Amino acid sequence: MFLIFRKISQSNVKHVVAKNYENQVFILSSRKLSIVPSVYDGEKDPAPKFFSTNVQVLLKRLTRPDFAKVFRKRKNHDMPILRTPTYKFLTNEELEAEIVKANNKAEKLLQMPPVVKTNQPINDVLSEDPALVGYDTAKYLFTDITFGVANEHRIIVERDPDGILRSCDYDLRKRLNQVYFPIQGRKIREPQMFTDTEKLNSLLERQEYEFILDRACLQYEPDEFSYQKVTSITYQHVDMNTNYSLLRSTRHFGPMTFYLTWHSNIDNLMLELLQSGAIREAVLLVALRHEILTDITNGDKLQAIVQQILPTPVQLTKPECLTEEDIQLDNKCVECIEKYVLTNSAMKSQHELALQGFREYYQHLIELSRGLQIAHGKASN
Amino acid sequence: MASKLLAIRNIGYKPLSLLVKQIPIQPVPYNLKLLSTTPVVSVNFFNKLPADKLWKSVTSVSNAGAKKGRGKGAGRIRIRDLNRGQIIGVGKINMLWPGLSAPVIRGRELLKQQRLPDDPERIEKLIKLRDSMTKFRRLKLSPIERGWSGSRMPGRSIGPPDPVGEDEFTGFDTKVLQLRSLLIMKGSLGRTRNYQAMVVTGNGQGLAGFGFGRAKEAPAALRKAKNRAGQKLMHFEIYNGNTVFHDFYTAFGRTKIFVQMKNEGYGLNCHRAIREICRAIGIKDLRAKVEGSNNLQHIVKAFFIGLLQQRTHQQLAEEKKLHLVEYRAENERYPKVVASPSEVRTKEQIPQTETLDFNQYVMNDKVILRKKKFPRFYETMPHYDIYLKKYERYRNHEKIRLNLKMEYGEIKSFLTDKYPEEKTQDA
Repeated sequence: MFLIFRKISQSNVKHVVAKNYENQVFILSSRKLSIVPSVYDGEKDPAPKFFSTNVQVLLKRLTRPDFAKVFRKRKNHDMPILRTPTYKFLTNEELEAEIVKANNKAEKLLQMPPVVKTNQPINDVLSEDPALVGYDTAKYLFTDITFGVANEHRIIVERDPDGILRSCDYDLRKRLNQVYFPIQGRKIREPQMFTDTEKLNSLLERQEYEFILDRACLQYEPDEFSYQKVTSITYQHVDMNTNYSLLRSTRHFGPMTFYLTWHSNIDNLMLELLQSGAIREAVLLVALRHEILTDITNGDKLQAIVQQILPTPVQLTKPECLTEEDIQLDNKCVECIEKYVLTNSAMKSQHELALQGFREYYQHLIELSRGLQIAHGKASN
Repeated sequence: MASKLLAIRNIGYKPLSLLVKQIPIQPVPYNLKLLSTTPVVSVNFFNKLPADKLWKSVTSVSNAGAKKGRGKGAGRIRIRDLNRGQIIGVGKINMLWPGLSAPVIRGRELLKQQRLPDDPERIEKLIKLRDSMTKFRRLKLSPIERGWSGSRMPGRSIGPPDPVGEDEFTGFDTKVLQLRSLLIMKGSLGRTRNYQAMVVTGNGQGLAGFGFGRAKEAPAALRKAKNRAGQKLMHFEIYNGNTVFHDFYTAFGRTKIFVQMKNEGYGLNCHRAIREICRAIGIKDLRAKVEGSNNLQHIVKAFFIGLLQQRTHQQLAEEKKLHLVEYRAENERYPKVVASPSEVRTKEQIPQTETLDFNQYVMNDKVILRKKKFPRFYETMPHYDIYLKKYERYRNHEKIRLNLKMEYGEIKSFLTDKYPEEKTQDA
């Protein structure tokens, strides 16, 4: 599934460099494979699916938020130097209040960048004045800089040398908004790491996925073609090298999973989940696929299992001790995955092998926990 | 030794012809009738007495003067060892002596006595060597070995303490903090000089101790102090492997120290003695302000007392019966529970007058004076505003240069391509 990228840019007379792309294919070639970006510009709109509550809940759960990673020390922070920590004495109630505040902050940090389809070029002519032909060789751009107007609704129009007054297209709008109301970190000229394939390639090989995605979110709008191109290349690279753990507990894991599921590419992720023993997340992934593509047999029964999984706490590490409810739930998950592997999986043998391995490991775990319970005199934990 | 040299010199002074013919040497060297008139051995000033007595007569410091320390400084004449630079068998006449300065058999041939070509510069070399021995050399230390100042001992390392029985002090290093000579007046001896050393030893993992030593000689005092410090080790807990658990205030005598814990990368912003102590213990980031008296021994004692009186997070939580929560700016101020007591008080159980602020509680209700920062001397000058307005023009130029280099690879504008720089012709 690949698309050819075609861009016809408007020639900008004022600046020296004028690039004209026509039918240029942007292919990022790594050593042996080449990644072809794919963009949400077909007939199907991902936005309604992405913003539906079911999908949002599933994606948030799949990112497996680990507070140690969510609140980690970042290099591109505002602070130039570290500061000494401060300490407080808190009662139980105060501590709970602080934890609630921390959860809200975590939600904010893990807010997923939206997945929407690409924007259509703006083409409305406001007036045609052929009397102005020959007045000037330059294009005139008019921006309404009233304070308080949102950047999307700002009136930005241009008067071409042939006398036509029209609304500006999205890239011009973005450029002028950045000039008058700059966003910190967004550059007017596109950074070379997005235009130069070698630079992007080197970043991907160094596995700096979070850096690329964060900067793309900062530089572009979510409905821009370039943004979707860069993110799709990154997601595919992550998928090819199965480096999912680098993006877990970040805000980019959700859109990545959505992308992979949209293009029916969840086999690598499913394999990784099975191999690491996260069977409940595997079931959530199957449920996500059913939500987006609705192509799983007995998909309605999934919802019941999902409702049972969601209240359980997030599994950051492998469990050491199991309760009876855990065992029942996990057994149901295993059955569900079996059915999925039989019907919808593209890497059947690998999935079955992984599932088999999980079953054996789980059997050991059941014996261990049952033995412990007997040793403790059937004391329930 | 000197007599042996004299005997050999006697042989050297004899005429060559005698030696070659191997006439038995007469036991009485002073018989002038039997030997020829060529210069022979004689008694002169230089062979009446041994070398050190001769030198002593030249430098001449009396016994009382030596006790007072006269003739020990930089101005005194140095005694030179005249044997330095000379080898037995090599002299004014360069001869090959098999068995003495050369092997008897070299390869397959038997060597014979023979005269070698003279070395004309021998005497000059000797004189040059002897001249270099006269000046008082300042001991030059490399920067790594150097202490706090010059070639003095404070700040220098003197190795780990001596092993006691089977226990070896592995990983320990001692640093000298103080080495001074004291004079005491005694009725019987008069003025006697004594060296006192203060030393801190530690292994950088929480074990450290300090010790004093007194002796007549400096190295002995240092050794005593080092071993005493090794006997009096104390264990300190370090938070996060780099700093103390909390700020504290200590005092000993009239010396007051305000200590603040600091984050990773801050360094040891302290008095040089406190810095050495921290390095010995293993503390890497700290700020300590010494106020009041500067007495070094009091500073060291106060600091150790303060460290011993420190309370760990768990102890603080138990004392207060409240959760101790840490907020770090680089972790988005996430509330991390560092210590929890066995039972937690509720809000009603806490009296109104109790100090709940962590810093205040830990400093025992002492508040550090934060002085108001007044404007710098140039900010109040009349021309400063005008300067700022002029500077605004190129305030951002450094960042612009960086950005241009990033985008184009060089610093250029839209005019650079239009008007390329002319290449100047070399004359």
